[in-house]
Amino acid sequence: MIAGGAAPSALRALVPALGLGLAAALALAPAAGQRAWLGPIGAVGGVGVALYLAGLAMPWPGALPWALGLLGVEYLVSLEVRAAPLDASAPAYAVAFLLCAETGWLGLEVRRGGRPWFGRVAAIAGLALAGGALGALLLLVAATPLPGGAALTGLGVAAAVAIAACLAWLGRR
Amino acid sequence: MSPVRWSITASGRLPAYLALGGAGLLAGLVLGRPEAVIVAAPLLLAAAAGLALARAPELEVTVRLDRERALEGEDVELAVAVSALRRVAWLDVDVTPPPGLVLRRPGAAEGSVSLRAGSVKTYRRRLSCRRWGGRLVGHVSLHARDPLGFFTYREQVQHRLPLRVYPRPEAVRRLLRPAETQAFAGNEVSRQKGDGIEFADIRPFVPGDRVRRINWRASARRGQMQVNEMRPERNCDVVVFLDTFTELSDPSGSSLEMAVRAAAGLVEGYLRRRDRVGLVGFGGTLRWLQPAMGERQLYRLIDALIDTQVVLSYAWKDLEVIPRRTLPPKSLVVAFTPLLDDRSLGALLDLRGRGYDLSVVELSPFAFVAPGGRETERLAYRLWAMEREALHGRFLAVGVPVVTWRRGEPLEPVLALASRFRRDARVVRP
Repeated sequence: MIAGGAAPSALRALVPALGLGLAAALALAPAAGQRAWLGPIGAVGGVGVALYLAGLAMPWPGALPWALGLLGVEYLVSLEVRAAPLDASAPAYAVAFLLCAETGWLGLEVRRGGRPWFGRVAAIAGLALAGGALGALLLLVAATPLPGGAALTGLGVAAAVAIAACLAWLGRR
Repeated sequence: MSPVRWSITASGRLPAYLALGGAGLLAGLVLGRPEAVIVAAPLLLAAAAGLALARAPELEVTVRLDRERALEGEDVELAVAVSALRRVAWLDVDVTPPPGLVLRRPGAAEGSVSLRAGSVKTYRRRLSCRRWGGRLVGHVSLHARDPLGFFTYREQVQHRLPLRVYPRPEAVRRLLRPAETQAFAGNEVSRQKGDGIEFADIRPFVPGDRVRRINWRASARRGQMQVNEMRPERNCDVVVFLDTFTELSDPSGSSLEMAVRAAAGLVEGYLRRRDRVGLVGFGGTLRWLQPAMGERQLYRLIDALIDTQVVLSYAWKDLEVIPRRTLPPKSLVVAFTPLLDDRSLGALLDLRGRGYDLSVVELSPFAFVAPGGRETERLAYRLWAMEREALHGRFLAVGVPVVTWRRGEPLEPVLALASRFRRDARVVRP
């Protein structure tokens, strides 16, 4: 048994600060190598970080998904603008994205007086590792030179539908 | 032991992860960029893991109190034993005390724990009994979460463990002496003459008097046989009259609390002297207990006192509603009242009119009512105070002592004032 209780004030400051640092890193990373479109891309990332900060400070839980969405949009737009080939750092970005989301919600809970328990922290770490591995696997699959076509696209759509169905089934259970 | 049925709420995180993951998959398909899918994958994995691992906890909760009776001001311990039939990742237990009881050191809770399947955790909370009364203890709130914190399970378990909190009696050593005593032996020196050990008077010898009663010294002085007269020691009937029509209260107490504590002190004192004591709760609901003596009567009276409460009623009530045997003739009636309700005023004056030996302890309402800040409010307050003085005068005019007991003061000096009035005052008849 691991004791919990109200979070100490240091923890209340540390968890949101960690989340904010991750959000800032996620916003800066895509903008860093950018020459063209730096302003608009940086603006999208900045708004995302500002929303994240507002979500934690007010607190306003509804702002966090939008903040994360904007950060994701910034990343994808930066890749499109650069017309970059397959980004090898995508799994790392994905892990940082997940950790940013988790610390955001954890920061909200800590602010309400909750305290992260050991099992939860271990589960987040495990999820980050598994997410990184899954991302790497997907990257490997994406890097494999397979002939494209309607069949493969159809397979992708079917996989997406299967994932949605799987989640729906888990939710109903 | 009771199984728990949960109300489940999902965290806002779950729909957010599903929405972001779905958007990532869609963006990957539309833009043809696998990075969108790679970023979305961990979120979808987290959501799937959260849904797969989420299981409502299976708990059994047992609540115990260390005792069923306590005195005002004492602490009781409530033990909440939670046994987990299935692993619980995070569990918090909170106890909500009923009114009149407060959690001792609420910040010193054990906090949340995780429980393995088959393990038992006992939470111990100390409850301080702040106010007398009958209570039902055992309102327990359970709050559990799944390993990833996606779902929150809440339930309130209501165990109804009875706890009777007895009033801490006011310390009263010198009680009001009744004007008349009853036929049974007791500790009160009767005003009648008869067999006893307290000297009363001497009188001339008459045939039939016992020789041992002859006062030889007085006989020698007067030249005629004199005998001693004695006063017997008898018991008396006492009826404690509680006015429960109105109650004045603020966060630190109420007039009814004062009345009950005082009544408990008087009841104990009179029963210790082997007097017969009864109770009348005169208010929205009428409660009574016929006078009796002994230890059992003490507990009956205290049990009746802790169930005393003010019930709002507009029905007019007078002495006719009180059973005759509850108010025996020649009994001493001690009334505790804030003197605010006309029905209780009428009943008290009626009691006096019927010849009962009545004393009124006024529970001062001034401690609960502050004068307003404006001139008119202060004037109204002064007028009210004058009205109350006039009311005292009505009682004094019929030979009833009205003594005012203010909050925070001891009761004994107040009763001493009443005793002094009863000893010295004479009814003035026009």
